[in-house]
Amino acid sequence: MRRTMTSLLTAMLVFCVAAFVAPVGVKAATPKAETVKVGAILAVTGGASFLGGPEARTIQMLADELNATGGINGNKIELIIKDSAGDPEKAISFAKQLIEEEKVFAILGPSTSGETMKIKTICEQAKTILLSCAAAEVIVDPVAKYVFKTPQKDSDAVKKIYGEMKRQGISKIAVMSGNTGFGQAGKGQLTKMAPEFGITIVMEEVYDKTATDLSAVVAKMMSNKDIQAVVNWSIVPAQGILAKNMRQAGWKVPLFQSHGFGNIKYVEVGGAAAEGIIFPAGRLLVADVLPNDHPQKTVLLKYKNDYEAKFKEPASTFGGHGYDAFKILCRAIGQVGPDREKVRDAIENMKGFVGTGGVFNFTPADHNGLDIDAFAMLTVKDGKFVLYNH
Amino acid sequence: MGFARYIPIAFLVAGLVLVQQVTQHTGTTFYLTQLTMAAYYALVITGLCLLMGYAGQISLGHAGFFAIGGYIPAALTTYNLEPLREKWLVQTLDAAGLLTAGQDLYGQQVLHVHPWPSCILALLLTAGLAFVIGMPVLKLKGHYLAMATLGFGTIVYRVFLAMPLFGEADGISAVPPFPLLPGVTVSGDFAARTENYYIAFGLLIVGLLFLINLVHSRIGRAFRAIHGSEEAANAMGINTPRLKLQAFVISAVFAALAGVFLTHYNGGIGPSEASVMKSIRYVAIVAVGGMASLWGVFFMGILLNFMSLRGMFGTYDDAVFGVILILIMLFAPNGLLRLHLWQRMRRWRGVDKPKSRTE
Repeated sequence: MRRTMTSLLTAMLVFCVAAFVAPVGVKAATPKAETVKVGAILAVTGGASFLGGPEARTIQMLADELNATGGINGNKIELIIKDSAGDPEKAISFAKQLIEEEKVFAILGPSTSGETMKIKTICEQAKTILLSCAAAEVIVDPVAKYVFKTPQKDSDAVKKIYGEMKRQGISKIAVMSGNTGFGQAGKGQLTKMAPEFGITIVMEEVYDKTATDLSAVVAKMMSNKDIQAVVNWSIVPAQGILAKNMRQAGWKVPLFQSHGFGNIKYVEVGGAAAEGIIFPAGRLLVADVLPNDHPQKTVLLKYKNDYEAKFKEPASTFGGHGYDAFKILCRAIGQVGPDREKVRDAIENMKGFVGTGGVFNFTPADHNGLDIDAFAMLTVKDGKFVLYNH
Repeated sequence: MGFARYIPIAFLVAGLVLVQQVTQHTGTTFYLTQLTMAAYYALVITGLCLLMGYAGQISLGHAGFFAIGGYIPAALTTYNLEPLREKWLVQTLDAAGLLTAGQDLYGQQVLHVHPWPSCILALLLTAGLAFVIGMPVLKLKGHYLAMATLGFGTIVYRVFLAMPLFGEADGISAVPPFPLLPGVTVSGDFAARTENYYIAFGLLIVGLLFLINLVHSRIGRAFRAIHGSEEAANAMGINTPRLKLQAFVISAVFAALAGVFLTHYNGGIGPSEASVMKSIRYVAIVAVGGMASLWGVFFMGILLNFMSLRGMFGTYDDAVFGVILILIMLFAPNGLLRLHLWQRMRRWRGVDKPKSRTE
């Protein structure tokens, strides 16, 4: 009995100390009067870290840069990045924490659609601006007053691919996808929009995200002589492996990939077989070769060079989503000052903002602000990404 | 013992009210959000404590049971039956009063299963599944049992990840509040926070009382006998397979119950709740709490989950629990609260030899 009581009291003591003393100590260390608190919930670790990692690094870099140069009209940004590891329950907990405790002005992220959907209502209720870095279209459809997103629409990527197929006279295709959220969403859009473009999906295959060899699937598809092209939708090295397996088998149909292919590592995996792959992507990957008069050129080159100089890794379009979210917020604050309602209105009516994802034109009905022109068709030539010219 | 074993409960209730009052008066009620969530995780963990600490059976699949408890009501209470209104099954359910109609946030007409029947269904399903899984699996011992339950957890994770009904990788969002009783609702609304704090801890205390009584009963003694030596327990006439199964089913239902409530509180659930890392976390916390110490496990469950949910471990969240498990197993197999540190360090340095064990 005494032991139970002792452990009970010890635990209560530890608990009280942890709960009340620690946070107070943290708060006392950062007293600032004229700062705008911005929260970010990003999957810096875990399965979605390829999204959240570059996003967090980008946003931190931009915030430091901004504060070093005097902030927005003198208002400094205090950034609070929370690592959700892609777990929705953590995103929920952090969102509530940021909103109520830190009383943040706005939240950037989360990185994944699942997390964003969990906190969409919370932000809406608390009237806190949410600038999501996740792609799913349900985030902004139906439109919630305080919720925006920066990545391009999956459906536009599909339109771009199908448009190109139509031009080449392709009507019967095979669809391959990874078993991740990204793959599933893409497959859904591909299936939904095929009839609109007069395209028939002859065969569908889903593979594991850790797949290291797809030759069996390739052999199966190859036996179907109707297939004129293959579309693959995933964000894993299998994208390069698929190209390799297809060329090894001597199958010469065109291979289309999603915007998930926009990482030079996957080209390296595919080697020579990756040559000629066609895929839609934001223009970040081809910033160097854009014509000089392209509106995005300066923005893209600056971001790319800054990021690569600072972190010694290639800039990805995912980090670009974080860049756009941060810059959109800063621009709105710069226009109307740090007033949440006014900033929300400013974002909703923002026109012609040049970001890494494209040129954003928000409207009350469109909280994404990007159209199909945000994508360019790219291809691989001599181991590099280049603009695809038909 | 008699009533003495309930005294800590009285202290606990007083402590909980104190915490609530303090947060109220210092304007820090936001702490209650994470405390509420931690309380639900603590419910899983105290249930697992019965299985691991008392009956001596490990389970690395409890996140699976939690997820079943979360996903079933999430799917049922968000799946719109409105287009199926003409089907006889839907009409029968409607006539039985198991459905609720209404409008969603965007003015669309919806028809869902009421949270109560879906909660009961989830609990029954979990109990049934735990029974069916437990029957063959609990014949295994040690590592083999750990691996079999790990396999079960992985299967559950994969199923939720693969099925469109369960939202695949994105999980399920917009789960409605759970009207528990008239005027008592499990919901994540900022306004309902204090109420939900008491609901969560109320549920947890009921669970604790049940477990305290259980472990002090004849069955509880039988559990400990099994933990000590299954063969000896058998020889004493204890029906070990049945008791092990009982502990397994009870702890699974605890996990599912926590899943149901937390999902309604959070308004959603994702596949990460079913992941193996979650199961390992539960096991780690039971170990830190001292295995066969309901109070130790209870407090560690609240404390560590609270800290994790507040992001105190930052990027090292999962790693922290792995390291905790290793350190506890190495240096404090009886849990942190029963750590006789000095004695252990002296022993480590070989100052005094461990008392000779008769084995």
